[in-house]
Amino acid sequence: MDKPVGDIGMEREENVTSLALLASFLRLGASSFGGGMAGWTHREIVERRGWLTDDEFLKTLTVAQIMPGANPVNLAVYIGLKLRGVAGACIALFGMVLPAFAVILAMSVTYQQLRSHPEAQAVLRGLACVGIASSLTMGIKTARRLQRHALPILMALAVFLMVGVLRWSLVAVVAGTIPVSIAATFWIEREKSRD
Amino acid sequence: MIDDKLLGLILLCIPLSLVSFGGGQTIVASLQHQTVDILHLLSGPQFTDLYAISRAAPGPGTLIVALIGWEVSGLWGAVLATLAIFIPSSILLCILGSYWQRHRRSAWAIAAEKGLAPVAVGLIFAGVFAVGQSARFTPLELVTSLGAVAVLLTTKTGPYPVLAFVGVSYFLLSLAGMA
Repeated sequence: MDKPVGDIGMEREENVTSLALLASFLRLGASSFGGGMAGWTHREIVERRGWLTDDEFLKTLTVAQIMPGANPVNLAVYIGLKLRGVAGACIALFGMVLPAFAVILAMSVTYQQLRSHPEAQAVLRGLACVGIASSLTMGIKTARRLQRHALPILMALAVFLMVGVLRWSLVAVVAGTIPVSIAATFWIEREKSRD
Repeated sequence: MIDDKLLGLILLCIPLSLVSFGGGQTIVASLQHQTVDILHLLSGPQFTDLYAISRAAPGPGTLIVALIGWEVSGLWGAVLATLAIFIPSSILLCILGSYWQRHRRSAWAIAAEKGLAPVAVGLIFAGVFAVGQSARFTPLELVTSLGAVAVLLTTKTGPYPVLAFVGVSYFLLSLAGMA
């Protein structure tokens, strides 16, 4: 954080080579164990490389979070696009995904070798429990951040029923509910600012 | 090289990529329903296994599609499913990102940021429900899940120590003939 601010800026963009970009995102992709990727990416791109300022990074993060796609991957793609255009976006996507892709395939091969063993089945059942628990925890944490208002809560419930219980098409439900949810949020915000 | 099963998976991933607001967790319910009940690419227990692996693996949860692709048609399937889930959303991001950034202070843009959250919450719970239902948990597994939620919600423990602890415990229980 306490980097000298003045001497980055003008020549910053020329300093970003494809190779350096690839190296940075492969590093980030390899450290994507266990989350906290926004923090790791900030450390690499802003603090270590000085490719973006804090402010630019924050704007980029917002865009990455709001658009569809996995947030860490979106963040990488959008930073790549800003630094080196479309080629940069492709390099960042490749670098970010490759390490995790390699690990998950190794796990997949191991699974195929071991799946007939009862012990492996038991371990996988245990891991599935923790997987569901961590998804549920994420859902609860996100739900806590919803506005304290009936509309967003009803909206979340309706989406849960439509996709989870009734098994309606996710694409149709998302396309239908997002405009309604945004309009409702707009209305709530306007009511709040009137008080 | 691309058979009907793989084509079905790719055609499933492309639209899901474009609506995966909030990442992998939000598309799990639909992935499960489509790949198991509609396209018959996997059995229910197989999906639960792949879900467990993807949650234990590094990287975005979205990579569960690489595992499904691998099951359906090996390395080629894994690569194509991964491209199908990441490329459409990335193209959309590149096209709309700077437009969004220019207008992000407008009231509608602020409403859009907050308005996505309720939909994402509903989808995450739908995913938990879909996997939980098809996994048909035993009482021991239900207790394990609830215990893990309690640990993850109330302490600063990350998922990896919990995964390691439960994995080793279930291995030992299995050796003892209890799980």
